[in-house]
Amino acid sequence: MGLMKDIRVLTGGRDWRGRSRTPRSAVAHEPPEPPREFPTGWARTPAAQKARRALQRGVLTPLTWTQTRPEIQGRDRLAGLKGPVVFVANHSSHLDTPLILGSLPRHLGERVAVGAAADYFFDARVRAVVTALIFNAFPVERHRSRRLRSLAPLLLARGWSLLLFPEGTRSEDGWMSPLRLGAAHLCVTQGVPMVPIGLRGTYAAMPRGRNWPVPGRARVVVRYGTPLRPQAGEGARAFNARMADSIAQLWAEEEMGWYGSLRAQAKGELALPTGQQLPAGSWRRTWESTRPLGASAPKPAWDD
Amino acid sequence: MSRPGFVLEVDERTPALLMHEGEGFRLEKLPLGSRVIYPPESLPGLRDVDGEIRRALDNPLGREPLRELLFAGMKLTIVFDDLSIPLPPMRTPDIRQRVIEQVLELAAAKGVDDVELIAGNALHRRMTPAELKRTVGERVYRSFFPRHLRNHDAEDKANLTEIGHTKHGEVVEINRRAAESDLIVYVNVSLTAMSGGPKSVSVGLASYRSLKHHHNVHTLRHSRSFNDPPNSAMHHSYDRMSGLLGDNLKIFQIETTVNNDTFPTQLGFLNKREWEWTLKDQAAYLAVKRANDLAPPKRRRQIWHKTASPYGITSVTAGDPIAVHEVTMRNVLRQQLTEVDGPADIGIWGLPYICPYNVNSIMNPILVMSLGLGYFFNLYRNQPIVRPGGVAIYYHPVRNEFHPVHHPSYIDFFEEVLAETTDPVAIETKFEEQFATDPWYIHLYRNSYAYHGVHPLYMWYWGAHAMEHLGDVIFVGGDRKTTERMGFRSASTLDDALAMARERVGGSPTINYLHAPPLTMADVR
Repeated sequence: MGLMKDIRVLTGGRDWRGRSRTPRSAVAHEPPEPPREFPTGWARTPAAQKARRALQRGVLTPLTWTQTRPEIQGRDRLAGLKGPVVFVANHSSHLDTPLILGSLPRHLGERVAVGAAADYFFDARVRAVVTALIFNAFPVERHRSRRLRSLAPLLLARGWSLLLFPEGTRSEDGWMSPLRLGAAHLCVTQGVPMVPIGLRGTYAAMPRGRNWPVPGRARVVVRYGTPLRPQAGEGARAFNARMADSIAQLWAEEEMGWYGSLRAQAKGELALPTGQQLPAGSWRRTWESTRPLGASAPKPAWDD
Repeated sequence: MSRPGFVLEVDERTPALLMHEGEGFRLEKLPLGSRVIYPPESLPGLRDVDGEIRRALDNPLGREPLRELLFAGMKLTIVFDDLSIPLPPMRTPDIRQRVIEQVLELAAAKGVDDVELIAGNALHRRMTPAELKRTVGERVYRSFFPRHLRNHDAEDKANLTEIGHTKHGEVVEINRRAAESDLIVYVNVSLTAMSGGPKSVSVGLASYRSLKHHHNVHTLRHSRSFNDPPNSAMHHSYDRMSGLLGDNLKIFQIETTVNNDTFPTQLGFLNKREWEWTLKDQAAYLAVKRANDLAPPKRRRQIWHKTASPYGITSVTAGDPIAVHEVTMRNVLRQQLTEVDGPADIGIWGLPYICPYNVNSIMNPILVMSLGLGYFFNLYRNQPIVRPGGVAIYYHPVRNEFHPVHHPSYIDFFEEVLAETTDPVAIETKFEEQFATDPWYIHLYRNSYAYHGVHPLYMWYWGAHAMEHLGDVIFVGGDRKTTERMGFRSASTLDDALAMARERVGGSPTINYLHAPPLTMADVR
C-alpha cells in the first residue's frame, strides 16, 4: 500500500514519461539545455534515401507545385557541375527547402543534405525524425554554441552536397539579414564550389507563422546563379562578400531582368536586399515584401 | 554555471515537493500559492584544493605568510572545528586534514617540535579516537594521538586561563595551552553564516564561565538572526571577546567554505528541484524511500549516519581572523542566500536526520526543537520567513528517544525540567546553575562522551527567539506526547496542521516553505 501511495504522489502532475511541467515561477530558472546531438546518420542510408525520394517526388514536390506556381530559372548554370557543392539561398519561408529540393537537377538533387537549426528542428524527437527523413537534414548550431560538432565538413567529405541558409533563420519581414560566415568558411576551407540561389515570392506565399501557403497559387521564383569557386588565397570574408553580391543580383533580377541586374551590379548599385530604405519596424517593410510577384518574369532586355 | 536561488510559487504545474522528516523523507503537495525558497545551486568546488591551501598560507590577509610565523623552539597549537560541522560529515579526506597537513609540513620544515592539536569542542561531547582520526587523517593521528591530539576540556580548571574581561564585563577564559602558545592556528569549516571568525577561539576553546555570557536567553532573543552577525547580539559578544583575544594572542585563522553538494550521487534527487527529476531520480526516490521506510530503525539510523557528503570546497582563506571571516561570509552567502519577498503567515520546514549535536548519535526531542526553532528558524536575514504571531509547521517524528551516553543531561532536562516549565527564562533562572555544575554531568563530559550538563538548556535557549516570535508550533508526524511536553502540537498530515494553523492566522494564510537541506538562507525583504 505504501508503495502505491508513494507512486501516486510521485507521478501526480507528471506525464507518462515521468516529466513534470515547469512551474510558471520556475520557467526563468530553467537550466540550460544539456548538450544533445540527434543522430542523423540513419537518414543517409540507402533505405532512407529511397524512402525520401519517394516522399519528395510523391508528396512534397507535387504538393508544393500545386499550392504555389514555381518558376525555376538558371538551372542551365548547373549543367556539368559535379558535387559536392554548397547551395546557399536567402531564407524567408518553410517553402524554400521544398522548392529548391524539388527543382534541383537530378544529378545534384539526389545527394543533398540540408542544414537545419538544431534548436528548432532537433529539439523534439518526432520533429527531428521527420525533418531528417524528408529533407535529409542535419543539425546546425546557430547561436555560436559549441555544443555540437559540425557535421558539415564530414558530409562534404563523404560526397554530400549541402543546402545552407547563411542568414541563420527565416526572415521576420521578408527582407534579408546579413549573411553569416559559416557557409563561406566551409567552402574556402573545404575547397568546394558554392551555388547561390535567389528565392523570391516565398515570403508572400507562406510567411512565418503560416503552416500552409496562401490560397491562390502565388508565384514563386527559384533562381540559380553561376557557381562560385574560392580563389587561391581568398579568405572567408571576401568569399562571403562575393556570395552576397551574387544573391543580391539574383534578387534584383526579378525586377531588372538578368542584364539589368548585371549592369546595376557593375555600377555598384546593388546591395543585399535588407530593406534598409524602409524604416525599421515600419509596416511598409512587410507591405513591400508581401507584394505578390508580377505575373511573370520581366521581359528580356533585347525585347525593348 | 550554478543557478541562483529563487522562490517558487506553487501552481497547478508544481509536482509534489520533497520534505525531510528525520530519518526519512516524503513528497508533499503544498497548497497553491505557497512559496518555496530554494537555495542557489551548488557552486563549483575548487579544482586544486591543495594548491589553494598553499596559496592561502603563503598569501594570508593581514598577516605574514605562515612560514614566516613559524620558528624552531616555538609553541604551536593547532585548533580545529569539531565534528559538529559540516553536516552531514564530509567525505574523507576532510578539509581540516588537508589544511592541517600543510600547516604541519611548514612547521616541520621550520623545526617546530612543540605542536599540540586540539579539537575546539567547547561544551560538546569529546570526539572519539575514530572521529578524531577521520577528521585529521591517519598521518596526523598517528603522529600526535593521544598525547598531543586531544579534545578541549572546558572543565579542566588547571588547563584553563582567564585572558581578561571585555568592556561589558564578560569573562574570557580559554584553554591554557592555546593561550600560552606563540601561535594559534585555527582550522575552520564554515557551513553557516554563524560559524567561524570571532566565534572560533572564543567559543571553541572556552569554558562555561565564558560561554554563559552569550549562550543565554537574553542574547539569543536579541540575535535576529544568529546567522546574521551584524544583527546578532551573540556575535557582538563574540566580537568583544575576540577583540580581547586579539590583543593578547596571535591567531592565524584558516577558514574554508563548502558548496551545497550535501548528498552523495545515489541520493542525488535530494539535491535537485523536483520538476527537474529524471525518471532515474524518480526511481531512486521510490527505491530509497521504500528501503528506508522498511529498514529496521537502528539500521536506518546507521545508514544515514554513514552518509558522507561529497562537498566541494569553494574557498580557502587564511590570515587575520576578522579579515578572513569577511571573505568567508561572502562565500557562505554566495552559496546559501535567496531573496524572499516578505514573511508569510505560516512557515514550513522539513527537519532532516542530523543536527550539530547528534553526529553518530540520536536526534532527541530537545535537539529536534533546537534544529527547528533554533537553526532552521534562524536561517534568515532581516526578518523571519514567518510573521510575528505566525505558525511554524515542522516535519519530524519527534520520537522520545535519547542517546544515554551522549545526552545524559538531556534526559533529565526532558523528564524533569520540561515537565515543570517550557519558558526559557524560567528554565535559565531556576535550572542553569544546577545543570552546569552537577558533578556527575561534569564527570561524564570529561571522561565519557557526554555533552556538558548545561548543553540541553543552551539548546532550549537556541529556540527562545522563535518561541517568542511564533504564535504556534506544529509538528507533522510528531509524537503527540513528546511534542506536548515541549509545549508544541502535533498533526498527522499537512492538511490537519494547516487546519490547526488557520485557527490562529486566519482562513487563507500565506505560506513560506524553506526547502532545506541543502542549506538555504532567506534574505526576507
